[in-house]
Amino acid sequence: MIPEEREEQTRESPEPTPEQELEEAKQKADTYLDSWKRAQADFVNYKHRAEQEKLEMGKYASGQLILSLLPVLDDFERAFASLAPEVKPEWVAGVKLVESKLRSILESQGLSAIEALGKDFDPALHEAVMHGTGPEGVVVNELRRGYKLYDRVLRPSQVAVGSGEPQEPEKKPDTRRHKN
Amino acid sequence: MGRAVGIDLGTTFSEVAVVQGGEPVVIPAAEGGNIVPSYVAISKNGERLVGQLARRQAIVNPENTVYSIKRFMGRKWGEPAGRELPVEEDARRKTYKVTRGPNNEVRVLMGGKEYSPPEISAMILQKLKTDAEAYLGEKVTDAVITVPAYFNDAQRQATKDAGTIAGLNVLRIINEPTAAALAYGLDKKTEETIAVYDLGGGTFDISVLEIGGGTFQVKSTAGDTHLGGDDFDQRIIDWLSDEFKRDQGIDLRQDRMALQRLKEAAEKAKIELSSVQQSDINLPFITADASGPKHLNITLTRSKLEQLVMDLVEKTLGPCKQAVTDAGITTAQIDEVVLVGGQTRMPLVLAKVKQFFGKEPNKGVNPDEVVSVGAAIQAGVLRGEVKEVLLLDVTPLTLGIETMGAVMTPLITRNTTIPTSKSQIFSTATDSQPSVEIHVLQGERPMAGDNRTLGRFMLDGILPAPRGLPQIEVTFDIDANGILSVKAHDKGTGKEQKITITASSGLNKDEVEKMRREAEMHAAEDNKRKEEVEAKNIADNMAYQAEKTLRDYKDKIPDALNKEIEGKVAAVREALKGSDVAAIQRATQDLNQAMQKVGQSVYQQGQQPPPGQQPPPGGQQPPPGGKKDDDGTVEGEFHEV
Repeated sequence: MIPEEREEQTRESPEPTPEQELEEAKQKADTYLDSWKRAQADFVNYKHRAEQEKLEMGKYASGQLILSLLPVLDDFERAFASLAPEVKPEWVAGVKLVESKLRSILESQGLSAIEALGKDFDPALHEAVMHGTGPEGVVVNELRRGYKLYDRVLRPSQVAVGSGEPQEPEKKPDTRRHKN
Repeated sequence: MGRAVGIDLGTTFSEVAVVQGGEPVVIPAAEGGNIVPSYVAISKNGERLVGQLARRQAIVNPENTVYSIKRFMGRKWGEPAGRELPVEEDARRKTYKVTRGPNNEVRVLMGGKEYSPPEISAMILQKLKTDAEAYLGEKVTDAVITVPAYFNDAQRQATKDAGTIAGLNVLRIINEPTAAALAYGLDKKTEETIAVYDLGGGTFDISVLEIGGGTFQVKSTAGDTHLGGDDFDQRIIDWLSDEFKRDQGIDLRQDRMALQRLKEAAEKAKIELSSVQQSDINLPFITADASGPKHLNITLTRSKLEQLVMDLVEKTLGPCKQAVTDAGITTAQIDEVVLVGGQTRMPLVLAKVKQFFGKEPNKGVNPDEVVSVGAAIQAGVLRGEVKEVLLLDVTPLTLGIETMGAVMTPLITRNTTIPTSKSQIFSTATDSQPSVEIHVLQGERPMAGDNRTLGRFMLDGILPAPRGLPQIEVTFDIDANGILSVKAHDKGTGKEQKITITASSGLNKDEVEKMRREAEMHAAEDNKRKEEVEAKNIADNMAYQAEKTLRDYKDKIPDALNKEIEGKVAAVREALKGSDVAAIQRATQDLNQAMQKVGQSVYQQGQQPPPGQQPPPGGQQPPPGGKKDDDGTVEGEFHEV
C-alpha cells in the first residue's frame, strides 16, 4: 500500500553556541509574534463574520421553514389544477382564499416566485429537467415553481427547455443518479 | 503568504474547509450550501459554469457538461483497471466525449475544446478557492487536497497538477481515510489501528490505517464502487411505487414528475427515520386517471425501512472482512472506527458497524464534512498554525476559592479556554482580621467541602480594619500548559502571596465526568444549602451593621428605638443558631425595617428649622401623629412613612 510522506529526521547537533542560541531565540520570538498576530487577526475576522452572520440570520432565518412549506403551495396548485366540475364553486372559492392567505403570509416574509415560462433558461434561477418543444434555450414548461427569498434563490424552478426542434425524444441520460 | 485550506475533491461533490481560530470550519459555496457538485460546463452562450449552476443545466447541455472527472484523473486509455472501470467502459457511460490525447492520456471535449482531467478539476478547485477567499476576506494560496487511499502515483500527481493549475500551492496530497482520522485527532495516538468506514451517496470504501510516530500508513483498502445512499433511496422509491400500484393500479415509475416527487420524498423520509420511528409520506395529487386525481399517503416505519435496506448494509461487511484480512489482523485488533459519509447516520448502519468491529465508532464530526475538516487540520499543521503549544485546551472544571460560610466562589468557570486570567476583589469576614486564607478549590458544587482542594495559602499583615474594608485582590492565572497560579494581593499594604498548582489538569476524562454528574445529582440539595448560607451571611452582616450603627450614632437614636433594635439583633443572632432559613430571613427583614427608622431619626434630628420660622407660641404642641409642616421637620413622635 502507499505510505504517507514521512517527516524528516533531524540529527542531534552538538552543544549550541551563544550565537546559535540567540539566533534560535530570535527566530522563536519572530514565530511567536507572527502567530500572535495571526490569532489576533483571526479573532477580528471572526468577530466581523459573526456580526455579518447575525445580520443575515435575521433576514434569512425563516428560509428553512419557508422552504419546507413550499410543497404545500405546490400541492394547492395541483389541487386546483385537477378541480372536478361537481365541486361546489363556493367551497372552491373558500379554499382558494386559504391558499391566498398562505401565499400572502409567505410573501410578507420575503418570498417571491421566480419567473420562468417564456424566459431564457438561466441555471442561476432554473433547473432543466427535460427538453420540450419550442424555441431553443427558452423555458417552454414549468414543472415546479421556483421561489426567491428576498434576493436569494430559495428553490430553483424545475423547467423544460425548448430544443428548437419540432419533436424531441425524451430519452436523455439521467445525470441526476450520478452512478458514474 | 495567504491562507491554507483543506479540500475534499470528490467524484460527485467537493468541499473546502479552513481552520479558523483553532477550529476547522466548512466554507459555504457562493450560491449557498456547503457542498459543490463536481460539475463543469460550457453553456450555449460560451459561459463557463462550475458547481450547482453547471449541474442544473446538465440535461439540456449534456455534451458540454463534464462530471465525475475524478474517474479519469491520472488514467490512460488501454491501461489495466485496478479499482476503477477501464477508461473505455467509463467513457461510454458519459454524456460528454472522452478522447485520446498524447501518450494515450485521457482528454475530454467541452465547448469544442479538449481538456485534460486535471484542467477540469482545476476549474472546480478554482471555484472553491474563490468562494473561500470571498468568505474569509483574504487570499487563499495553499491547500491540502484529499484522494482515495487506492489512488496510484499518476492519479495523485494529476490531483496535485490540478491544484497547481488552479493557482494553489499544494502543501500535500493526503488519503481520504487519513483525513477522516485527523478530524478526530487520532494522529495523537501512538501505535493504533484505525478502520475508516466511508458510505457516501454512490460508493462504499473501507480502509485500515496504522498510526505510529505521527504518521499514517494505509494497510489495506476495499470497497464497492456502486453501493451508496442512492441505492437506499431507490429501495424506498420502489416500495412506494409497488404499494401504490397495488392500491391504485398505476405505476408511478412511468410518470417522470411523479418519480421526481417520489425521489425527493424518499430521501426526506430516509433522513427523518434516522431520528424518529416513523415518517408520513404525503404526496397529494401525485397522478390522475379517468376517475380523477390520486394521492399517495403512506407511512414508512423505521423497521420497514431497515427491512428494505438490510441486504445493502450487509453488503458493506464483505469488503470490511476483506480489508481486515488483507491488513493481516483480526477485527479485535482494530482500536478505532471512524465514519464518513451521510449514510452512516442511519441507526442500522451504526449498529452493524458497531457489531462488526465490536466497538463504538467515533462520532461528533459531521460525517459529510469529516474529510474536508481533516484536510483543513492538516493544512493548518503544515502551515504551523496548529502547533503543539497553540492547541488550546479548556479547563475541565470550575476553579474558585472558599468564602464566608464555607461556600465556593467560582473565579474561572469550567470549559473556559486557556490560557486565561481572572481577578476578583475579596475582603475580610471579621473586624481586625489580620490574615486571609486562600483555599483554592476545583469542582462544580456550591459548598467548598464538596469540591477538590488544589491548595491553600495565607496572606497576612492585613492592617486592623472593620470587616469588609480591606481589598484583597485574588487572581487566578492558567497558562497554556494548564498550570494554575493563584495570587492574593492586599491593595492597601501591597503585600502579596502566591502559589503555583500543576495538578489542576491532572484529572482524566472519567474523573471529570464523575464530578460533573455528582454536581448535577446534588444540585437541588446543594442549592438549598447555598441559600441557607447566603441567608446566614446576610443576617450576620445585617446584625453587625446594626450594632455598629447603634454604637456610631448612639446620641442620635432615642432609647426606645435603641432597645427595639437591640431586641431585633438578638432575635437574628438567635435565629442564626439554627438552620431555619425562613426564620433567619424573617428576623433579618424585621431588623432591616427597624434599621430604617434609625436613618429617619438621625437625618431628621440633624435638620434645623429654617430662620424666620418660629416654633408655635405658648404651649401649643405640634399635633400628635407627627404631621409634617412645610420644611419637613417633625418634632417628637414620628411614623413610618
